[in-house]
Amino acid sequence: MATHVEQVMGLPVSLDLRDEGDFTGAVADAFRWLREVDARFSPFRSGSEVCRYDRGETTELSADLDEVLGLCAYYEDLSGGAFSARLPGRGLDPCAVVKGWAVQRAADRLHAAGARRFCLNAGGDVVTAGEPEPGRPWRVGIRHPEQPEAVCAVVASRDGAVATSAAYERGTHVLDGRTGLPATGLLSVTVVAEDLTHADALATAAFALGADGIAWAAEQPGCDVLIVDAQRRVHRSPGLALACPECPQCTR
Amino acid sequence: MNKTIFVVALSIAGFVAVWRFDPTPATSSTTATSAPQVSTAPSTSAGSGAVTTQGSAESTEFGTVQVQVSFSGSRITDVTLVQQPDSGRGVDAIPLLREEALQAQSADIDTVSGATQTSESYIKSLQAALDAKGS
Repeated sequence: MATHVEQVMGLPVSLDLRDEGDFTGAVADAFRWLREVDARFSPFRSGSEVCRYDRGETTELSADLDEVLGLCAYYEDLSGGAFSARLPGRGLDPCAVVKGWAVQRAADRLHAAGARRFCLNAGGDVVTAGEPEPGRPWRVGIRHPEQPEAVCAVVASRDGAVATSAAYERGTHVLDGRTGLPATGLLSVTVVAEDLTHADALATAAFALGADGIAWAAEQPGCDVLIVDAQRRVHRSPGLALACPECPQCTR
Repeated sequence: MNKTIFVVALSIAGFVAVWRFDPTPATSSTTATSAPQVSTAPSTSAGSGAVTTQGSAESTEFGTVQVQVSFSGSRITDVTLVQQPDSGRGVDAIPLLREEALQAQSADIDTVSGATQTSESYIKSLQAALDAKGS
């Protein structure tokens, strides 16, 4: 059992690990990886791999950067250009893919070290593994888009990931790659998927798509969505595993 | 319990009235992105203390409206739209009711998913409280 909170990649990252035994080394390794990602992939650090590649100072791609650029291209294509790592007039910014990918990799490292019951939360994007207590899933509250102290739903998750994209924390920072303008059509988009790379990229892309993102996200295979639109209507996939807030064991 | 259901039923009737009263014209009807099922008769299903009540499907000029309310004991645990019209002045009301229903119970969770948090907002957040509590 261990809990750990650390500021990495500009985010509070917290880990709640329920496995018996000593996972000190595995936890340190997972956080070391996240700090490494910050140093290598931040578009805000002029010496990062991403910035050097963008300036043409290096032509040899590392396997990791190659993978990240491949993911950027994949989601840009999938979203018809709404999701883009290269907006006009700006440098290469793969942040929208890097966070989910890096945190999923950190979770994979914990899993490879033998951890089976944990919850890793990176600034609101969550990877869960196993069960916190035998017989019940992790209960992931989805923050209410307008009330910081409230949740608007509770999702049940075992091995999986939950990502939310919205404008309430950092203003209208998500731009629609099709127009270059801030995305304002939705209040929040939550995507539940098998891994955080997919969940985070889909949530960001759907948010960038605005109102078009509701149907788009609902059609993507391998995910479930909970979307609050600008009129405060809640749209959710029929398959979304919601937990009843009243009964700890319950997943309806 | 029965009293609560009665009050909720009255609220539902109120919402339907709001829809009916909407003066703006609407061209489309039905479709519900969130509709898990469609049934036309009022029904109630019970099991292990949890009760789900489905209101009757009400036809309005803007489409069909039907809500489902879940109870655990006498407390509302969820309110969902089984069928809803595409537009109309009343559509905000039910998601808001649903959110209110969950607000007071937010402590019974392990973690919170939300938009990317800065460290300043983290300190004030529900997630920080959960982390501080430990496991």
